Amino acid sequence: MKHKSLQFFGNLSIFIVLPLVPLLIFWFIPLAVSFWLSTTDWDYISPVIESVGIGNYQTIMNSSVFHEVLKNTAVFTLWTVIPTIILGFLAAILIQQIEKGRSLLKTLIFSPWFTPTVAISIVWSWIFQPDIGVLNQVLGWFNLPQPTWLQSSDYAMWAIIIVTVWKGIGWCMLFYCDAIERIPKDIIEVCQLEGTGPWQMIKTVYLPYTSPTSLFLIVTTIISSLQAYDQIQVMTQGGPSGSTRTLLYYYYQLAFEQFDMGMATALATIILVITGLISLLQFGLSKYWVHYQ
Amino acid sequence: MKIDHLSQPVTMTNAQEKEMKKDRTIDLTKKSVIYLVLIGFAFMTVFPLVWMLLSSLKSPSEMLAVPFTLFPEKLQWGNFSRAFELAPFGLYMMNSFLTSIAIVLLQAGFSCMLAYGLTHIKFKGRSFIFNSLLISYMLPTAVTYVPSYIILARLNLLDTLTGIVISNAASVFSVFLLWQAFRTVPGELIEAARMEGASDWSILWKIVAPLRKSTIFIMSLISFIQMYNNYLWPSLVARSQENYLVTVGLRQFYTSQGSFSNNLPAIMAANVITILPLFIIFLIFQKWLIRGIGDTGIKG
Repeated sequence: MKHKSLQFFGNLSIFIVLPLVPLLIFWFIPLAVSFWLSTTDWDYISPVIESVGIGNYQTIMNSSVFHEVLKNTAVFTLWTVIPTIILGFLAAILIQQIEKGRSLLKTLIFSPWFTPTVAISIVWSWIFQPDIGVLNQVLGWFNLPQPTWLQSSDYAMWAIIIVTVWKGIGWCMLFYCDAIERIPKDIIEVCQLEGTGPWQMIKTVYLPYTSPTSLFLIVTTIISSLQAYDQIQVMTQGGPSGSTRTLLYYYYQLAFEQFDMGMATALATIILVITGLISLLQFGLSKYWVHYQ
Repeated sequence: MKIDHLSQPVTMTNAQEKEMKKDRTIDLTKKSVIYLVLIGFAFMTVFPLVWMLLSSLKSPSEMLAVPFTLFPEKLQWGNFSRAFELAPFGLYMMNSFLTSIAIVLLQAGFSCMLAYGLTHIKFKGRSFIFNSLLISYMLPTAVTYVPSYIILARLNLLDTLTGIVISNAASVFSVFLLWQAFRTVPGELIEAARMEGASDWSILWKIVAPLRKSTIFIMSLISFIQMYNNYLWPSLVARSQENYLVTVGLRQFYTSQGSFSNNLPAIMAANVITILPLFIIFLIFQKWLIRGIGDTGIKG
C-alpha cells in the first residue's frame, strides 16, 4: 500500500507539478505580481515601492489617451475579426466546391500565415508608400482616391487592419475547410437534389454545421487582435498622432518606453478584464447560435 | 392508354436529359466563376510576397520608379550579399533556429507529460487544473510581460537566449492539442500496460506518444513557426546585437537603413532571407500542416 501511494505521488509530481512549474513562473505568478504592481507607483528603478491604492486605475480611466486607445482598439478588433472570419468562411466554401487545384489554392491563400509579421509589415509599408507605392499607383489607374495611408491619421488604422486581415484569412479558411468536410455528405446531396440555392445552403447547412468552429475562431481571433503589436510597431509605432495606438501598444509604451510600471500593470488588468468579459459573453451567447452535433 | 402510360416515362427521360445538359452548362459556368473568384483571391494574398521577391532583385532606381515595373531589368543578386554585409543575418538566423528548436523540445516534453497526467492519471483537482489552463488560454499573454521581465532580471537572464527559451518553455496551446489527442487513447490499453508492471513514464513515451506522434509533430511545427516569428517578447529580452533573433534584427535593420533609398532593395532581400527558411519548411510539410491545423481545432 505504502509503495502504491508513493508511486502515485511520484507520478503526480512528474506529470503534473513539474510541467506546471514554467507555467507558474511565467504565467500565473506574473499575473498575481502584475495585479499587485498595479496598486503601486513603481518606476522600475527605484528601490522604494509606494502603494497608491486604486490611484493608477483612476488616472487611466480618466485620461483622454485611454479613451482614444479604447476606441482605436474597438475599431481595430471589430474590423479585423469580422472580415477575417467572413472571408475565411467564404474562401473555404468556394474551395470545397472544386477538385482540381484545391490544395494549391489552399496553400497560396494560407501562405501569409507562416511569414513573420515583422518581415511582411516592412513589405506592406513599402506597398502603402503614398507616391511610389504600388497600391496607390493601381488605385490611380481607376481614378480612385489615393490616401497617404500610413502618414494619415484617418487611414493608418485601415492600413494596419488590411495587413492583419490579409494575414489571418488563411488560418480561418483551414479550420472552416475541415469543418465543412465533416458535414454529413447526404445532407449536401439532398440539398443538391432539391436545388437549394447557394444563399439558402449557407444559411441552413454551412452556418449551423460549422458553428462550433465559428465560436472557436471568433474567440481566438478577438484575443489575437487584442494582442496585435508587431505590425503596429513596424508600420506606424502607434502614430500618426496616436491614431493606431491600441490598448496593447499603449501598455508597451507605458511599461517599456516610460517605465511607469504601476500604470502599465493597471492597464494590463483592464485588458485582462476586457478580454475575460468578451470571452464570457461569447460563451454565454453561444447557447443561442452554436449547434454541437 | 397503356401505351401512353408506357411512353410517358420515355419522353420524361428525354426531357430530363435535356435538363441535365442544361444543368451541366450551368455547372460549368458556375465552376468557372468559382475558379475566377478563388484565383483572384489567391492572387491578392500572394501578391505582397511576390512583390517582396521581385523588389529584392531590383536596383534602387527600379524600386523607386513611377510607374512601377513588375520585373527587374537585370537580376540584382548583389542585394542579398549587401544585406549580409550590412547586418549579421547569419547570426540572427542561427539564434532564431537555436532558440526555436530548444523551445519546441521543451514544450513538446512538458506538454506530453502534462497532457498524459490530465488524461490518464486520476487525481483530485484534475478538472480544476484543466479549467485554469482553459481560462489562461483565453487571456492575452502580453499582460504578464512586466512581471516576467522582472523575473528574468532577477534570474540574471535578461539579454540571454536562455532567458527567451525558458520563458517560453510552457505553452497552453500545445497542452490542449495533445490533451485532445491523448484523450482518445483507450484507457484499457494503459491499464493493461500497468498490469504488466510498466511505469507511467514508459507508458507515456513507449505507448501513448508513439501512437499520437503525428499530433506531436504538428504541435512542434506550429510552435516552431510561432517562435521563429515571435517579435515583441524577444525584442524586450534581447538587448545586445549578438542575442538578436532574426525578427528583432530585421526590424533593427529596417529602422537603421530604411531612410537610405539606396538600401531599399537590400531591405527587401533581408525580408526574403528571413522568410526563406520558413518557406522551405512549409513546402516540405505543407500537407501535414494544412491537414493538421484544421484537424486540431475543436471537435464537437
